[in-house]
Amino acid sequence: MTPFEIGLIALALMGFLVLLGMHVPIALIACSFLGVWAIKGSPLLASKMLGLAANDAISSYFFGVVPLFVLMGFLVSESGMGRDSFDVANAMFRRIKGGLGIGTIAANTIFAAITGISIASAAVFTKIAVPELRRHGYTPRFSVGLVAGSSVLGMLIPPSLLLILYGLLTEQSIGDLFLAGVGPGLLLAILFGMGTVLMALFVPGIVGQNLGQVEAPLSARQLLAKGLPITLLIALVLGGIYVGFFTPVEAGAIGTVGALLIGLAKGTLNAKSLWRVLVETGLVTAAVCFLIVAAQMYSRMLSFSGLPGAFGEIVASAELGLYGLILIYVLVVILFGMILDSSSIMLILVPLMLPVVVPMGVDLVWFGIITVIAVEVGLLTPPFGISVYVIKSTLDDPYIKLSDIFIGAAPFAVMMLVCLAAVVFFPVIATGLLGR
Amino acid sequence: MTSETIGRATMPGRFLRVLDAVTLVANVAGSCLIVGLVILITADVIGREALGAPVSGVPELVSLSIVAIVFLQAPQALRAGRLTRSDGVLDAIKSRKPRLADALETVFDLVGIAVLGAILYAHWPIMTRAWERNDFVGAVGDFTAPTWPVKAMLAVGAALLALQFVARILRRYLS
Amino acid sequence: DSFNATVVAGHPGVFRWVKMVDEAFVPGVNAALEGSGHTMSFDGQYGGSIAKVGDELETVEAGLAEIGICQSLFDPAKLAVQNVTYYTPFVNDDPRAVSDLMDELHKSDPRMTEAYTQNGVVYLGAPVGIDDYLLMTKFPIADLGDLDGKKIAAPGPAINWLSGTGAVGVSGNLTTYYNELQAGVYDGVIVFASAALPGKLYEVAPYVTRAGLGAQYAGALCANADWYDDLPDEAKQALHTGADAAKEWYLAALEGAVETSFKVMGENGATITDASDEMRAAWAAGMDNAAKTWAEGLDGQGIPGSEVLSLYMDTMRGEGATPLRNWDQE
Ligand code: NA
Ligand code: NA
Repeated sequence: MTPFEIGLIALALMGFLVLLGMHVPIALIACSFLGVWAIKGSPLLASKMLGLAANDAISSYFFGVVPLFVLMGFLVSESGMGRDSFDVANAMFRRIKGGLGIGTIAANTIFAAITGISIASAAVFTKIAVPELRRHGYTPRFSVGLVAGSSVLGMLIPPSLLLILYGLLTEQSIGDLFLAGVGPGLLLAILFGMGTVLMALFVPGIVGQNLGQVEAPLSARQLLAKGLPITLLIALVLGGIYVGFFTPVEAGAIGTVGALLIGLAKGTLNAKSLWRVLVETGLVTAAVCFLIVAAQMYSRMLSFSGLPGAFGEIVASAELGLYGLILIYVLVVILFGMILDSSSIMLILVPLMLPVVVPMGVDLVWFGIITVIAVEVGLLTPPFGISVYVIKSTLDDPYIKLSDIFIGAAPFAVMMLVCLAAVVFFPVIATGLLGR
Repeated sequence: MTSETIGRATMPGRFLRVLDAVTLVANVAGSCLIVGLVILITADVIGREALGAPVSGVPELVSLSIVAIVFLQAPQALRAGRLTRSDGVLDAIKSRKPRLADALETVFDLVGIAVLGAILYAHWPIMTRAWERNDFVGAVGDFTAPTWPVKAMLAVGAALLALQFVARILRRYLS
Repeated sequence: DSFNATVVAGHPGVFRWVKMVDEAFVPGVNAALEGSGHTMSFDGQYGGSIAKVGDELETVEAGLAEIGICQSLFDPAKLAVQNVTYYTPFVNDDPRAVSDLMDELHKSDPRMTEAYTQNGVVYLGAPVGIDDYLLMTKFPIADLGDLDGKKIAAPGPAINWLSGTGAVGVSGNLTTYYNELQAGVYDGVIVFASAALPGKLYEVAPYVTRAGLGAQYAGALCANADWYDDLPDEAKQALHTGADAAKEWYLAALEGAVETSFKVMGENGATITDASDEMRAAWAAGMDNAAKTWAEGLDGQGIPGSEVLSLYMDTMRGEGATPLRNWDQE
């Protein structure tokens, strides 16, 4: 058997085991182990690969702040700010069918300007938004799907870990890339909002019956009382980043302290609830990061098999026009998105595509935005969809299955493709802010 | 299916109680590390902006701690049923052939024990050498931190996780 | 016979020290093997696909890859004495001179190669030389006093260079410089020209001050010792020949890039100035002697830190360099 064939078998085996119900990280690690054993012919080397990856894979500053953003989200939720902000959003959009859905997307768009990683958005809004959406009559599937979908805004609207990575790979200005992410990010948020309203109007069976008519309108005083704390927190975090007091990475810690102080001031936090939040944060962090460790092992095994490189070379060497090339490229990225994590896809495919697209005179900033949107579709697609996994492990509700979240997220993945097509055919959406 | 349904005085019962207690301690240690990170980063930001005296080594400590946090808390995450899995097919099997489902789950747990064993086997020399050679992160003259404590916590966490897989099998057949 | 080697690098292929593998090392090895009856094929795994930055040595040692770009800068515990250049600023600003000298010391002095042997790898060559570190700031610098109270980011051991300047040293790295400078988290950075250009740092920190902090040695190609020992002599020799070719290619490319960097940064509105001799002297004089702390710390662990420090400084002085501080003799 060639390494290439071993890679293919390892892929199929992973899909099979996950479907059958093995814990996803264990399935990934087991397939990595067997794959490297088969490729290198040595179980000893295979276990060394696992040992090194266990030590190295998440040992980075960027992953280090995952628990901080999760903790901030839980504090926002536990202190009642999450519920308050949704009462406000609901009051503002209460005349629109699906108004709370729009509120969720709007809140996620703002949060995306704080965080650089989508898994943070997914974890935070699972905690804040899902209970509120369900309380207001949205179906469980739609509630989690909406949160999964809008979590992708986290890595499209700056700051974005993926855009930083792309900038390093292609020597493009990260500042330019960030600016270019704003237009498509807002477009995607608007598409999500329109999609939510349209679905609420025409397929209420999917979204939920009797939406938005639950609450009485809020008085100005109530609006202020409910809206002010969360506004203060957002102002603290966003303001601090833009004034340069702290980095978006550090914002996780500062936001946590801010949320804690506000919660204590509101009198909604006590020692017991704080401890519960802390334990919960640990469990979510462990579930998410253990998965990332396993995914790293798995992608290292695939690298040994040469599978991703071979796929990429086929695309790169096919004689296609620009749009043909982009189409195939996007398809391959989405395909990879089913089985690999975002940064692995980027690291494998972008260096392969650069020598192909540069001679065609392609604007690399535009190409970067296309890449990021396509990569992010993978956050929502089975069997390996990290945003969906994060929501599942944050939610801790046995009645909502992984498959429910994937199904719920599907309409949003489709809207992402619409956004992607718009950016492909109207590059100005991305590059307009750069004056290109 | 709690440990209490297995006789408390029996060997497996005692094992499960001690294991769950140790798992909880690891979980608490991980939570304390998260609080530590919040304090550390906040102190760094305030020190840098207000006092002109940042805390040295924050990126290094953060990237070390996350490894410890994850491995210390993964056992409790498994115990609490929070490790990601897709349970649709398994549930369908369970409702028709509960014994087959149990057997399948046991095979899965054995795979978990096996891969964690492989990780521990490869990790052991990495850990002992980090201890023997004083491996550190950071830069001498500014800030350094030894890597062995985190590598030890990784070992403890991985071992507890493997034992929690053992515990799943025990609970399945002894309760 | 035919041999296979996986080459790992944590940095992606756009970095010059990774590019040298496919551009010069591989063709160099193949050319040297011609007619020997041996062939060697290479599988480049870059950008962290198998090993992250700083984990290359461990990966090669474990045998998961045969060859790697072993980054002493990012693996300071295992490749300790190799960081001697980062503890001795103001010694030499020419990357070619620093690379040549470090390469030569590795080939002639067992105290330099011991670190590799202890970690189960073999030094092949092709040192990753880094061009002269300089200051890039959001504000003009006339003398050392201008740094007072400013937040300056520096990578790894280079943060020691800010001691005594009055600046607030913040540890940072290339991946975040642009954003943090733009946001104002830092007022300036310590960086090298060949990275400042592709990182477009001149857009956010347009004042470039060349203070001659010094060229550096950051790593080199290394091979798994067991794999290397089993190779026939011709193949071993070919690896070293290939590494020498890579070194030549790398230094030529680096020197070209440095020249271009200053030119393009200047054209794009950067103000490039050379620090005055007074400022350099004051800076050097005010610094802590981190080299001594570092070397004595190594001595205490049975690693010849002080000896390597003297070896490096003596050889540099012997080659005509005029260090602003004799770090080894204080
Ligand atoms: Na963002
Ligand atoms: Na996916």
